[in-house]
Amino acid sequence: MSNTSISNSKGAKLRRDIKRHLGVYVLAFVPFIYYLVFKYIPIFNAQIAFKDFMALDGVLGSKWVGLKNFKTFFNSFYFWSLLRNTVFYSIGKLVISLPLSIILSITIYECTKPHLRKIVQTISYLPHFLSWVIMYGILLAILAPGDGLINDIIKLLGGQPIDFLSNTKTFPWVVLISDAWKEMGWSAIIFIAALMGIDGSLFEAAMVEGASSWQRVRYITLPSIKPVIVTVLILKLGTILDAGFNQIFMLYSPQVYSVADIIDTWVYRQGLLEFEFGLATAVGLFKGVFGMILVLLSNAFSKKVSGTGLF
Amino acid sequence: MKKDNSQNAVKVKLSRTDRIFNICVDAFLIFMLIVLVIPLWSTITLSFRPNHYIGSYLEGMFLPPWKWSLDAYHALLGNDGFLDAFLNSFKILVGGVTCSLLLTIPMAYVLSVHTLPGRKWINIIIMVPYVFNVGMIPTYLLVKSVGLIGHLSAVFLPTAISTYNCIIMKQFFEGIPGELKESARIDGCSEIRVLFNIIIPLSKAIIMTIGLYYGVAFWNDFFHAMLYLTDKYPLPILLRNILIGSGMNEFVESNAFGNAPIQAIKAASVFMAALPMVGAYPFIQKYFTKGTLAGSVKG
Repeated sequence: MSNTSISNSKGAKLRRDIKRHLGVYVLAFVPFIYYLVFKYIPIFNAQIAFKDFMALDGVLGSKWVGLKNFKTFFNSFYFWSLLRNTVFYSIGKLVISLPLSIILSITIYECTKPHLRKIVQTISYLPHFLSWVIMYGILLAILAPGDGLINDIIKLLGGQPIDFLSNTKTFPWVVLISDAWKEMGWSAIIFIAALMGIDGSLFEAAMVEGASSWQRVRYITLPSIKPVIVTVLILKLGTILDAGFNQIFMLYSPQVYSVADIIDTWVYRQGLLEFEFGLATAVGLFKGVFGMILVLLSNAFSKKVSGTGLF
Repeated sequence: MKKDNSQNAVKVKLSRTDRIFNICVDAFLIFMLIVLVIPLWSTITLSFRPNHYIGSYLEGMFLPPWKWSLDAYHALLGNDGFLDAFLNSFKILVGGVTCSLLLTIPMAYVLSVHTLPGRKWINIIIMVPYVFNVGMIPTYLLVKSVGLIGHLSAVFLPTAISTYNCIIMKQFFEGIPGELKESARIDGCSEIRVLFNIIIPLSKAIIMTIGLYYGVAFWNDFFHAMLYLTDKYPLPILLRNILIGSGMNEFVESNAFGNAPIQAIKAASVFMAALPMVGAYPFIQKYFTKGTLAGSVKG
């Protein structure tokens, strides 16, 4: 008796609530359709990872082949090479960029000359907004084998010119260093923000105690931004399978595929140039599932350690 | 020096190590500045290299400005392909930002209404594709099946809502005092009017920021244009063709670029493609920094 009246009043309340928010649902309608079409149909299309996709038969008409595409990929020689390159570039970028951006943020924070600080901040953020096509143009200008800046210097010092972009030994370094050059200023922003939040009285106390600037950095500044560093590190590890498609795609060439190819570039070539849609989708799906697990884990971990996450 | 001494004894007592520290800090920043500026400077000077320039690259970097020449720019701007590409990029930018904001603002608002029945489900619908990325092929098949291949809108429609931007905007909307919305509703405002008359006027800064986020992404987009466009090209595609030399052959053969040196034309096209971004940069920097901080602080 009382149960039904509660559920009744609950149902009535829900109905009233829905009625009250009718306008909100109207607003949600177009974005909802958008999500359905542009985000959920692709998820539905991903079934071709388990099919022998034929363009004429379409997504639904193609024959199921079970895990054949996945087996082809896992048993192929390029599986390990793609995975190795992808992880190498992600970790490499992290190892080079993270310390650089931390040092940059601390020096910007500690700098006593406001003009110098402002100029470095402005110039170091700028490359973040340049596309990798433009970056490629800049790299061509300084790395060109015949008459680029770096090779001019090498020749001046009596060395042999190097074709940096098509040499398997130098290519990975070009990728890592150009990424650091482009992104270090931008990645420093989050640390600068954290530094701005440090309680000024800590520094005053340190000064009274007679701590040197070095000690101040070592014992106050660095420990204060440690939680932010840990968060950034954990969250970056969650996207370890994203090694930077745009960059690699723009810089690589067939001569360096062995050291340059990452999962994304391979999926692109296999799918859209070789028309192996099923196989390419299977690899994309493999990356998607692993990427999801990594992001969820790193997000949960980051929330536990520092209380902040991506979502 | 003596003045300092009397003013702040503590500072001067530490000044020896402190001065070394300050020199190290300044030296590092100046070093970084040089490292950042050299590639930019070398590309700019390369683009102004005269036609019959003889000399090494290094010397070219220190060529005095009165010896610079606009040959490469004349060649580039006199080319119809460049202007077409610029126009296409502009169309993608305007269409993309408009479309993105028209979708993102209502979505973010819907998510910010905490009393909404079914809000949890809407949240899940949005988060699943954000976390689970199925890759480029399934999206390509979709764009192909709805017949968008070759249309400029194919460049921005598949990425018109960025869930990340949507979340940042939602967080901002959540910060707007609930009483404002409630009182408007009590006065008989519909939800659509609450959004337009209360939320949007109070959120100009965040809308600006998110609009710029989208704008930069669309302006720089190369990948989607390469995937989906067939005969119309935006700037990044033309630039890449010029850089890798594939689009260059026809130009060189027809002498459309005159006799300006290829390297200079490449550098000039890099500079021209970057110019709108550099011009908008002071503006971008102001809002982007704010937005990034808003996103990172609340997270």
